[in-house]
Amino acid sequence: MLEVTNINKFYGGVRAVENVSLEVKKGKIIGLIGTNGAGKTTLFNVISGFDKSDNGIVNLSGKDITKLTPSNIAELGLIRTFQTATGFPRLTVLENLLVFSSKNNFNFFNNFLIKQDNSHDLIETAENVLKNFGLLEKKNQWVGDLSAPELKILEFARAIMGDPLIMLLDEPAAGVNPALLENLMSIITELNKNGVTFLIVDHNLRFICEITDYIYVMNDGKLIAEGTPDTIINNELVIQTYIGK
Amino acid sequence: MEGFLIFSISVLTLAFVYVILCLALNIECGVAGMWDLGIVSYFGVGAYSYAILVAPAAASYQHYLFGFELNPVFGILLAVTMGGISAYLIGLPSLRLRREYFLITTIAFSEVLRITFSNENWLTNGVAGIYNIEQPLKTFFSPDIYLILLFIVFFVFAIITYFIVSRLSNSTYGLSLKALRENESLAKTARIEPSKQYHSVYVFTGCLAGLSGALYVWLNTLIVPTQFTPNVTFFVWTALIIGGIGNNKGAFLGAIFFVILLETLSFLNLSAELALVISSLRIALVGLALILILRFLPNGLISEKPRFL
Repeated sequence: MLEVTNINKFYGGVRAVENVSLEVKKGKIIGLIGTNGAGKTTLFNVISGFDKSDNGIVNLSGKDITKLTPSNIAELGLIRTFQTATGFPRLTVLENLLVFSSKNNFNFFNNFLIKQDNSHDLIETAENVLKNFGLLEKKNQWVGDLSAPELKILEFARAIMGDPLIMLLDEPAAGVNPALLENLMSIITELNKNGVTFLIVDHNLRFICEITDYIYVMNDGKLIAEGTPDTIINNELVIQTYIGK
Repeated sequence: MEGFLIFSISVLTLAFVYVILCLALNIECGVAGMWDLGIVSYFGVGAYSYAILVAPAAASYQHYLFGFELNPVFGILLAVTMGGISAYLIGLPSLRLRREYFLITTIAFSEVLRITFSNENWLTNGVAGIYNIEQPLKTFFSPDIYLILLFIVFFVFAIITYFIVSRLSNSTYGLSLKALRENESLAKTARIEPSKQYHSVYVFTGCLAGLSGALYVWLNTLIVPTQFTPNVTFFVWTALIIGGIGNNKGAFLGAIFFVILLETLSFLNLSAELALVISSLRIALVGLALILILRFLPNGLISEKPRFL
């Protein structure tokens, strides 16, 4: 589904990502781990179009997306989250979901000339999603007033509205309490059962090993290991990188 | 008609011009979050476009080459079109910038245009301006009736603008603008292309400001470059802040409140000396009103409301 081939990204003299290749097969949950500054988020930015790579190719479902804009890439079904859970603060919870609907037509002339009659259906869909995530009673609340855990949940609720093929999660477990982490893991597993593929960046090795099918490890901009969770936690190089000699 | 009634109708008629400007600024700034300090640019372009098409040919002491004396309907159409075209062109470089950089660029362009209006005698008759621009249909009515007619026509323009802007603000398009205003990076992940949305709303704002420029010349029957100083931009901003940024009803009310506040002071029956003092204090009093609003009603008279409640 997602193929990243020989990606390089330099910031001046700094090698943020060097010759990284990875593959995310359809229906899988893939992990990407590494210490701070390993280049994981830069790689995420390149894949999702927020940064342009210096060379290399990113393919999504057979289409070259290397030079596409983030919104074009999102149009193809790749939805990403950011390190800090975020939203549109002065839009309500319901509006935050509606923005992400895959049925939206944002064109000026379409909205100027033709009245769109699908808003009732969309609202109903969004309310169902909110109900499933336990956020229905907050639907008219500004997102800026939500708590951090609620924002984390909202990220997934929003993504569902966009019918994603693949989700890139940037440190979903960061700053999350154990109860919420369990909740997030069950949400990810449930979405995966419904056909959503995941590429997850995180520091939390336990979380990554528990939830993913395959893991890539980065250090200093390069891939240093890859394999199933069992092989990764026993990999000498990974242990050295994470814990030291 | 009694003096006070004439004055009130005239002030409200002028207020409707500001209502259109305020609604234009609201969808651009209140909804899309673009801090534009150059809305006077398109107001001026619209006003001159209307004047050039509707004004009579230049007299011997005037320097402008045009003056087609055409039907004002064509003048209004050209004003809207030129407002949009100039916004499109100015948007090409300035919309690459964000926040304060965008703000500075737009104010710079508005000054460039004002200086152009002052110096291009062949086009605008320079600082002397263009006078005696006939008001459409005026010969068919008595002055009192025409005053009321103007009031009604301008009110209809303001109401139509209000409904169009409200429809767009509450549409999916409006939602995309609000999303960009709140978090551009996240909005991109929702399939929203910032450059398209920003440019389209900027051109739309230019069209509306162009329309208000045409109405302004229709009302005043003359045009001079000093009508298009940055003061206009600050007046519109003040009116919008008073009314409530992000709320179209607030923009509508804010413009009316602002114009009444500004103009009523000049109607007070005072001695010549005191009138001069009060006239000089008008802007200061508007500033005071703004401070009081920001202190006691920071979101304006009517704050932004969620779309679905």
